[in-house]
Amino acid sequence: MSYAVAIRTRGLTKDYGEGHGLFDLDLEVQRGEIFGFLGPNGAGKSTTMRLLLDLIVPTRGSATLMELDSRAQSLEIRRRVGFLPGDLELYPRLTGEAMLDYLGELRGGIDPRVRDSLAERFDADLRRPVRELSTGNRQKLGLIQAFMHEPELLILDEPIAGLDPLVQQSFHALLQELAEQGRTVFLSSHTLSEVERVAHRVAILREGRLAVVDSLDNLRDIAVRRLDIEFGRSTPAADELRALPGVREVIVNGRHVVVAFEGSADPLVKAIANHEVRSIRSRDDDLEEIFLRYYRDPDQT
Amino acid sequence: MSAPTFAMAVRLRIRSTVLAALGMASVILMVGALFPAVGDSIGRLDLPKGVSELLGGADYGTIRGWMRSEIGAVYGPLVIAAIAITAAAGSTAGEEESGILGLVLAQPIGRSRLVLEKAGAVAVAVLIIAVGTLLGLIVGVAVAGGGIGLGDQAALAVHLAFFGFATGAVALALAGITGRRAVAAGGAGAFAVVGFLINGFAPLVHGVSWLKYASPFYYYAGHDPLGSGIHLGDLAVLAAATAALTAIAAVSFRRRDLRG
Repeated sequence: MSYAVAIRTRGLTKDYGEGHGLFDLDLEVQRGEIFGFLGPNGAGKSTTMRLLLDLIVPTRGSATLMELDSRAQSLEIRRRVGFLPGDLELYPRLTGEAMLDYLGELRGGIDPRVRDSLAERFDADLRRPVRELSTGNRQKLGLIQAFMHEPELLILDEPIAGLDPLVQQSFHALLQELAEQGRTVFLSSHTLSEVERVAHRVAILREGRLAVVDSLDNLRDIAVRRLDIEFGRSTPAADELRALPGVREVIVNGRHVVVAFEGSADPLVKAIANHEVRSIRSRDDDLEEIFLRYYRDPDQT
Repeated sequence: MSAPTFAMAVRLRIRSTVLAALGMASVILMVGALFPAVGDSIGRLDLPKGVSELLGGADYGTIRGWMRSEIGAVYGPLVIAAIAITAAAGSTAGEEESGILGLVLAQPIGRSRLVLEKAGAVAVAVLIIAVGTLLGLIVGVAVAGGGIGLGDQAALAVHLAFFGFATGAVALALAGITGRRAVAAGGAGAFAVVGFLINGFAPLVHGVSWLKYASPFYYYAGHDPLGSGIHLGDLAVLAAATAALTAIAAVSFRRRDLRG
């Protein structure tokens, strides 16, 4: 692993016509990074990943992975990459074990101990046929196959989809261990909240074009987050909340209050602490809002 | 050298293919068992030449003619083409459309290699049906009181297998080019049906009789394997067509975007 850049794309384009596809993507992912690739559905995240794996051919531009050309040296790349497709499909009649055996054989055999420890870690049942598994349990098989040959680079398309919170946690822990070993993780999601616990840097794709690349810390400062707060008997005055630093919007509906804020949650939490707070739930971040803010005020970065 | 994709493709279809082969053998056995009862009463049907041509001569008075018409002319090629085409279209374009190939091809396996291994599995399915045909003929002819040598029975099964390879390869090529299961299966099926009709009718029409050479049926049954044994020239043509179509499948699949 002598390279410094794990993924580099230059003007990478896949033009499906009528504005669909991916356009002029210039991206660099450093070795050892956990890189979040965000965008709404249809923004071009899966297209990018399929281009990197030579499943589809670019209209123009190029990509190198671990300093290997994505087209000419694809076999060597795929030997060293683990991939989780966004629309994971497995042979329905096979057991998880048989499916993983097949994929392992395509790699010339894998260490079964690695596979078994991953299965244990994700609490996956390998003995049942795939068709009997829930989406989340299929996704576990998808993750195991992506990790089981201990690849240097992981390309994971919406890996969290369908996973329960406990499995998500062990997944995140695993990603951090891998990054510490110098392995690289490139993962996509359509919400910031799914990657914010693990990603070092984040890119946001919008309508096939790269809109934002930034560190997660910067992005978090910029992101407008929303909290749903349910109060007990007394509710703080809306104006009082609006006056707090960072608070952008306050909507009061009886005892339910929705507060949109940016930056630290601290002033808000301190202000509501005098009241009885029955519950706090956080709402998904709005990616659209994030890049609107980037465009409104480019100096933020 | 291991071939996991070949092994997996065989594994996924082995059960249904063996059942189909057993079905084939049972039908042939029943056809043989019927011969003593109907052979004498029907004899040679006096049909228009084109129709009798389609039915393999329609000579029901001998066990050879009976089997040629009942199994050799329509039923045998129908079953083997159906098995070959569904296996070829399903394991390539079908898996491409469902998305499984998106996962398989993220592993270090070349696309041409994948096509060749899938083609090998189609060949295995075809061979299983051919073996079922031969077993059915051996038992069916014996039940009918004999009358066709083992060599001629085997010749029909061998010609049938090569016919199956070629029709399967048509589906493989269409799947390689388009990635669409419906196009691959429908196109290869239509090709087989048109080939069947051309082989039957083209020789009757002045000026287009040469068209029969474009039909796989000509190379399958044109020299009557059940009556005159294996015809190496015909097998060579079917083998060459199979190889060329498989090569087209491999090359065209390598050059395009994966669907699904």
